[in-house]
Amino acid sequence: MSAPTHILALTWVTPLAGAILGASILAPLVALWFLKLRRKRRVISSTLLWSRSLADLRANTPFQRIRFSWLLLLQILAIVLIAVALAQPEAEGLGASGGRHVLLIDRSASMNAMETAEEDGTTIDPPIARLALAKEAAKTRVRELLGGGWFSKRASEVMIVAFGSRAEIRSPFTDNISTLESAIDAITPTDEATVLSEALELSRAFTSNLNVADARGEKNELPVGELPTIELYSDGRVSDLATLALREGEGIVYHRVGAADRNLAVVAVSADRPPEQQNRIQVFAALVNPRTEAASVTVQMAIDGTVRAVTPEKITIPAAAERDGQWVPGRAQVVFRPVEQPNNASIEVAIVEDDALRDDDAALVVVPPAKKLSVLLVSNGDAFLLRTVLEALPVERFATMTLGEFEAATAQGKPSGYDVVVFDGVAPAALAPGSYLAVGAVPPIDGLTQFGSHEGVYPRIAREEHPLFRAASIDELFVSKLVAVQASKNFEVVAECAEGPMILTLDRSDLHLVYLAFDPLDSNWPFQRSFVNFVANAVEHLGRAGESLTGRALTPGEAISMRLPAGARNGEVETPDGRKFACTIDPDGQLTWGPVQLAGLHRIRFTPAIGEGTELRLVAVNIANADEARIAPRAELALGTQTVQGISVGDSRRGALWPWVLALGLLIVLLEWWSYQRQVRV
Amino acid sequence: MSSAQPTLRKLDDLLDSRLMAKLDGIDVMSRKIFSGKLQGERRSRRRGQSVEFADFRPYVHGDDLRFVDWNIFGRLDRLFLKMFLEEEDLSLIIALDTSASMRSGSPDTFDYARRVAMALAYVGLVNQHRVSLVGFSQGRIERASNLRGRRKAADVAQWLLRQQPEGGSGFEEAMRLVGTARQGRGVMIVLSDFLFPEGFEKGLGMVAGRGFDLFALQVLAPQVVDPSREGGIHGDLVLVDAETGVETEVTVTPELIRLYRERLDRLCGAIRAYCTRRDIVHLVVESSTPVETLMLEYLRRRGLLR
Repeated sequence: MSAPTHILALTWVTPLAGAILGASILAPLVALWFLKLRRKRRVISSTLLWSRSLADLRANTPFQRIRFSWLLLLQILAIVLIAVALAQPEAEGLGASGGRHVLLIDRSASMNAMETAEEDGTTIDPPIARLALAKEAAKTRVRELLGGGWFSKRASEVMIVAFGSRAEIRSPFTDNISTLESAIDAITPTDEATVLSEALELSRAFTSNLNVADARGEKNELPVGELPTIELYSDGRVSDLATLALREGEGIVYHRVGAADRNLAVVAVSADRPPEQQNRIQVFAALVNPRTEAASVTVQMAIDGTVRAVTPEKITIPAAAERDGQWVPGRAQVVFRPVEQPNNASIEVAIVEDDALRDDDAALVVVPPAKKLSVLLVSNGDAFLLRTVLEALPVERFATMTLGEFEAATAQGKPSGYDVVVFDGVAPAALAPGSYLAVGAVPPIDGLTQFGSHEGVYPRIAREEHPLFRAASIDELFVSKLVAVQASKNFEVVAECAEGPMILTLDRSDLHLVYLAFDPLDSNWPFQRSFVNFVANAVEHLGRAGESLTGRALTPGEAISMRLPAGARNGEVETPDGRKFACTIDPDGQLTWGPVQLAGLHRIRFTPAIGEGTELRLVAVNIANADEARIAPRAELALGTQTVQGISVGDSRRGALWPWVLALGLLIVLLEWWSYQRQVRV
Repeated sequence: MSSAQPTLRKLDDLLDSRLMAKLDGIDVMSRKIFSGKLQGERRSRRRGQSVEFADFRPYVHGDDLRFVDWNIFGRLDRLFLKMFLEEEDLSLIIALDTSASMRSGSPDTFDYARRVAMALAYVGLVNQHRVSLVGFSQGRIERASNLRGRRKAADVAQWLLRQQPEGGSGFEEAMRLVGTARQGRGVMIVLSDFLFPEGFEKGLGMVAGRGFDLFALQVLAPQVVDPSREGGIHGDLVLVDAETGVETEVTVTPELIRLYRERLDRLCGAIRAYCTRRDIVHLVVESSTPVETLMLEYLRRRGLLR
């Protein structure tokens, strides 16, 4: 079995066969060439001068030189070409053949881009998905690595790893071509982000020497073997590229897949019911443009599959740009007018115009039915300020309690049915699961510690895009006395001053909290309109937070985790492509399923504890990834200090060169024959 | 370089009437004065009866008293005999190489040599010289001797047309036979390619020292002078020597052609040097040269004709 050799950027499948042929034929050819020569007899007046000239010719050269002849040259050329063809050269800039190869096949969202033209401009009709190109190239590579030539089979082993945000081994090391091809065919697309680190770790784990003897309890050390060649089939848009580095001696071949770069994406969508219009829904969306030219698009909003609004004018998304060495995509916001929708609904915002990657042209959000909140105010005093504000809100039920009443009710399993509990300057001994707005006093939650106070502070940074600050600017806020707190990383600081956090939020599955680290009466906020808006935003935010998935939509790769009524059973998840998967539900109603692979609406059905009917929950999954939206293939990969140049799969698909070489060789033979005939005719 | 069969069949083929008319006005010029056999139109070494005074010598018994210079006898009282140059005929010997090597090239070397021989013989005949033709090959000679007068031109032509090149030349032996023949001294013109395997020196030496006014006319085909010309030697060949049958395998290359031409130049140079040393006029002529040009220009310039 002769190993294929890598010479002159060509892969030679059977170099030995070509060398043997060349060596065994060339020398006899030169000898036979003289025998074959049919000299024409010609009578001349005298050979006297000729024989003397020949003697001169021989005398002048120490060795008899092979005289130049086009025929001989053509014959040698033909033999060399045929020998080269027999060695089966294959043009490709790949790593050495033979040995072990790990093929990492990217199946992230960007690999769903449809390719309509190759890099050289050749049209692909019908368009083909990038992943399909990658799979085809990988199969070709498998055949190259394992297929062998006419006279030998290659000594290679190949492993297949598919990866998106997670990596899976699709086939362990094997030299079985059909197994590997089946494994490649079975790779399905996902809408996940591209995370290469796990795939690299996985391949490293399987390519380190496995000490078989150890597995049997013996202690025989196996010698360190040859490191495998990692071959990556991807568009190079790897989210964790900056954290990756190759190990010493590790080699990677980057097969660059695809050429399309025309793509726009909806990266965020949110919906809201305006407080004063609870039967209506207002939808917000964010669009990105990863290209270097600005784009104009039409955006539509559909509720439960029916288009309800279209942007009256095209939305212009500015071009992406480099800022401080960082790539920043162009962004644009879209706000739709509120539409009547009292019931729960799935809302989809989509770009109408076609582009290479359709999967990220739409984003979904699920909103619950219109519901008026019930609010409880807990205070030991009059709480005039907050009570006045809360009473003005369009809530279904509003009540007040003292801290003692609240704790007594809590001890008895009450109060229940309140969507939001507001603590005005008081803190209970413990917080049960629920949604809370705490003002002043530090609530008893792990990770939130009071360590003093500050006086006379101004807010320095506020996350103004947070729902809490919608129409509630705190630019002119002055706080005369601030509770100094230290918060763990579970808390999100949405507003802070130079001395520390001013407003914090906590979003846990069972507990949602907004904490104001100051008493509004110790500030000038009550005199500003933004205070009323802030309280209304906080109640709205907290009141909806407990409801299923009104907050952040999932992204592919994450797991669905949902609390259903206790005793729920017969859980089933239907993915956007119509496939259904059974899932288990804990006795306390916790459902976990995943990771989700596809963007779109996931339908979760279950049978509640009481009754036989089926209930439905909707889960929106959006790609919502500006990095994945950037689908233009990366020319090279910088892995640590090493830069790996991409090889277009279009180039590697050109495959074997030997038929061309053989054809050229036969052409030379014809030319030689013609030349010989012409010479003999003279 | 061998040519097709010759096309010379009659006198006109050898010498057309137009050239014949031009040749009527020229004569063979010898650089030496020879004794003739018959009274001719040429000065002879022999003192004779012409009007051209040569010398005086003392009278001896038996001299013709008509040639005594009586004026000198009156002044010196001694008898002196006036000597006059005798006008005698000239012996013109044309030696034609009839070996197989002469049949080559285009135009054919042998045909060309025969046409030159015919023209020279004609000049000799019309000037009342004694013309002898000698064909030599394989060491043998064939003669046509002592032809004189314009009427013998037909005989000369017939003799020439009868000659066919064959065999080796045997130049030395042939020249020995010519040199020792009682042919009378005179002008000898050797028409040959001088491509003799055994060399030309001994052959020419046989006649060079025997009182002939010798002209060596080396006739070569253009393809012999330059084998790269059309009809020359190309490609991979087995060259067969027309005289000896020796075969030589050659693959003609520019380098070989260059060496061949060097060899030819060296051979011609050697012949010329040899001839100069022995007072022989050597002239190389290509068979493509018009006979008229050769006769009226080249040979006149070299002193053979006037």
